[in-house]
Amino acid sequence: MKLNKTLIIFILIWSLLPLGWQLYTSFSTPEALTQPFIFSPNRWTFENYLQILNSNPPFWKYLLNSLIVGLLSTAITLIIAVPASYSLSKSNNRFSKLSKLFLAGSAMFPYVILFLSLLEVARKFNLGNNLLAICIPYSALSMPLAILLLTAAFKDIPKDLEEASVLEGLTLFQRLRWILLPLIKPSIASTAILVFLFSWNEYPIALTWISKSELLTLPVAMARLAGSSVYEVPYGAYAAATVIGSIPLLMIVLIFQRQIVSGLTQGAVKG
Amino acid sequence: MTLTLENLGLCVQRNWIIRNINIEVQPGECLALLGPSGCGKSTTLRLIAGLDKPSEGSISLFNKDLKGISPVNRKIGMVFQSYALFPHLTVVENLALGLKVRGYSIAEQKRRISYVLELLQIATLRNRKPQEISGGQRQRIALARALLRDPLIYLLDEPMSNLDAQLREDLRPELRKLIISGDKPVIYVTHDQQEAMAISNRIAVLNNGNLEQIGTPQELYLKPQSIFVANFIGRPQINMFEPLDSIRIAVRPEDIYLDPDGIQCKLIYKEWLGQNQLLFFDTPKGTIRMIGDTALDIPSEPRITWKKQKEHHFSTKSGKRIS
Ligand SMILES: Nc1ncnc2c1ncn2[C@@H]1O[C@H](COP(=O)(O)OP(=O)(O)OP(=O)(O)O)[C@@H](O)[C@H]1O
Ligand SMILES: [Mg+2]
Repeated sequence: MKLNKTLIIFILIWSLLPLGWQLYTSFSTPEALTQPFIFSPNRWTFENYLQILNSNPPFWKYLLNSLIVGLLSTAITLIIAVPASYSLSKSNNRFSKLSKLFLAGSAMFPYVILFLSLLEVARKFNLGNNLLAICIPYSALSMPLAILLLTAAFKDIPKDLEEASVLEGLTLFQRLRWILLPLIKPSIASTAILVFLFSWNEYPIALTWISKSELLTLPVAMARLAGSSVYEVPYGAYAAATVIGSIPLLMIVLIFQRQIVSGLTQGAVKG
Repeated sequence: MTLTLENLGLCVQRNWIIRNINIEVQPGECLALLGPSGCGKSTTLRLIAGLDKPSEGSISLFNKDLKGISPVNRKIGMVFQSYALFPHLTVVENLALGLKVRGYSIAEQKRRISYVLELLQIATLRNRKPQEISGGQRQRIALARALLRDPLIYLLDEPMSNLDAQLREDLRPELRKLIISGDKPVIYVTHDQQEAMAISNRIAVLNNGNLEQIGTPQELYLKPQSIFVANFIGRPQINMFEPLDSIRIAVRPEDIYLDPDGIQCKLIYKEWLGQNQLLFFDTPKGTIRMIGDTALDIPSEPRITWKKQKEHHFSTKSGKRIS
C-alpha cells in the first residue's frame, strides 16, 4: 500500500515535471532563466505571452488552424470508419479477413516514409497551403487504426441486442443511431481523441504542405518560433507557446475523461 | 394450420445444426421445444423469426410461406434467452423504441406502455436501466416488449433459465395467464422437462439437431418413441437395462414393486424425496431405481419385480421403440 503510493507519486512527478518546468519557464524573464537563484522584482513576467500573442500573425491563429484541422480530420475519419467497421464486424468471409490484415499492416506502417510522395500528391493536385486539403492525408493515415478499434468495439456488442432491434422493426440506420453507436460511445470517444492527437501533433506533412505563415499549424509554428533567431533561443516565448498549445488538449481530456478511461479498460472484464 | 415447419434444416460450414424438423403448431397451442444444451432449440427459433435463413425446407405461418419475408413483417414476439434489453435505455425507452419506429403516436405509445406495465406490475421500474433491476424483473420487461409487439406468434427462448427455482414456479401461472393461454400460438423453449410438461400442450423433443418425438406430455411419458426420449423425460430417470438380443428393455421406477417371487437384489442406498423415497437396488441386471412409499419397510433381502405390460422395448440398433 505504502509502496503503491510512493510509486504513484514518483510516476506523477516523472510525467508532470517537464510540464511544470514549461509553465515555470513561460512566466520567467530571460535573466531569471540563466540565473535561477536571483530574487529580483523582474523575476516573473507576462512578457512571453504578450510577445507571442502580439506577433504577426498572432499565436492564437495557429491554435485555431490546428483546431480546425484536428476537428475536421476527426470528423472525416469517424464518418468513414464507423460504417466501414460496422460492415467489417458483420462479415466473416475471406475478403474481410484480408482487409483486416491490410488494415493492421498499414496501421503499423511508419507514415514518415510517405511524406515525400505525399508532397508530390499535394503538388500535382494543388493541395498545398490549404487547411481543408491537409485533412485528407491526416484522416487517411488515422483510418486503419480507427477502423480496427471500432470493428473490435462493434464485435463486442452481443448479437442478441441487434437482432432484438431488427425484430422490433428498426432499420439499419435506426439501429446504428439508437442502439449500436450509443453502446460503443466509449470506443468512439477514445478513437476520436487518438485521431485528434495525431493531427494536433503531426509535423512532417504540415511542414511540407503548408508554407503560408497564416496557415501554419501549431507544431510547425512552434518550430519556426524556436528557429526564428540564429543568436538566441527564445525559451520563454517557446514555453508560453507550449502552454497555450496544450490547453485545448487538457480541456478535451477533462471533458471526455470518463469515456477515455472506460474505453481503455473496455473488454478487460466480461459482462 | 398456424405454423408449419416442413423438413427444416440449417447447415453451417458443412455441419447440420438442425435437420429434418417437421412440426405443426395448432391455433392457440403452446408447444414446448425440449432438449439438452446445444441441441438446436435456439437455432430453430431463429429460423422461424427470420434471423437465419434455412438451408433447406420451409416455414409457413397461416398458410403463407415465410421465405423472403423480413423478420419485422413476420410479426413475431420473441423473448431472447439473454432477454436482450438495451442496456443504455430505461425500461420505458426500451419498450417505446419499437412502438416509435412502427409509427405509433406518442399518446398511443404512452397508453400501451402504461397498460403492459400495469399488467406485469412493473410500473415502478419505468425509469430504471436494465442493469438496475433484478433478473425476474428483466424477464418481465422482455415479456412486456413481446406483448407490445402484438405478434401473430410468440417465441420464448428459455424465458426462465436465468431465474431461481422458486421464482420460476411463481412466474409460471403469470406467464400462462398472459401469453400461453391466449389465442396466439406459443413456442416455448426449455431444457427443463418438468417446466415443459407443466406449461405446454405438446412437447417436441430435440436431440443433436434431430426431432426425436413430438406429442402430448402423456404420450411422451407413457410411450417414448426412442431410448433418448425415455431417458430424457421423467425424473427419477427410467431404468434402462443392458441390451439383450438387440432389444433394450426399460421400466419406470414407479412401476417397480416388492414381490416375494421377484428377482433377488440388495439395497445400496435411498434418497428421501418427501412424499416418497427413491431406492437404489443392486441386481444381476444392474442398478435399478424404484420409487416407494416412505412407510415402506425394506427387508434385508428384498425381491422386486414389475408388470410385463409396463415394459418399454427399444431396438438397440436404431434406438427406436418396438411395438
Ligand atoms: N452461427 C453458428 N455457427 C456454427 N455453429 C453454430 C452457430 N450457431 C449455433 N451453432 C451450434 O449449433 C448448436 C445448436 O445451438 P443452439 O444455440 O440452437 O442450441 P440450444 O439448443 O439453444 O442450446 P442452449 O440450451 O444452450 O441454449 C450448438 O452446438 C452451436 O455450437
Ligand atoms: Mg438456446
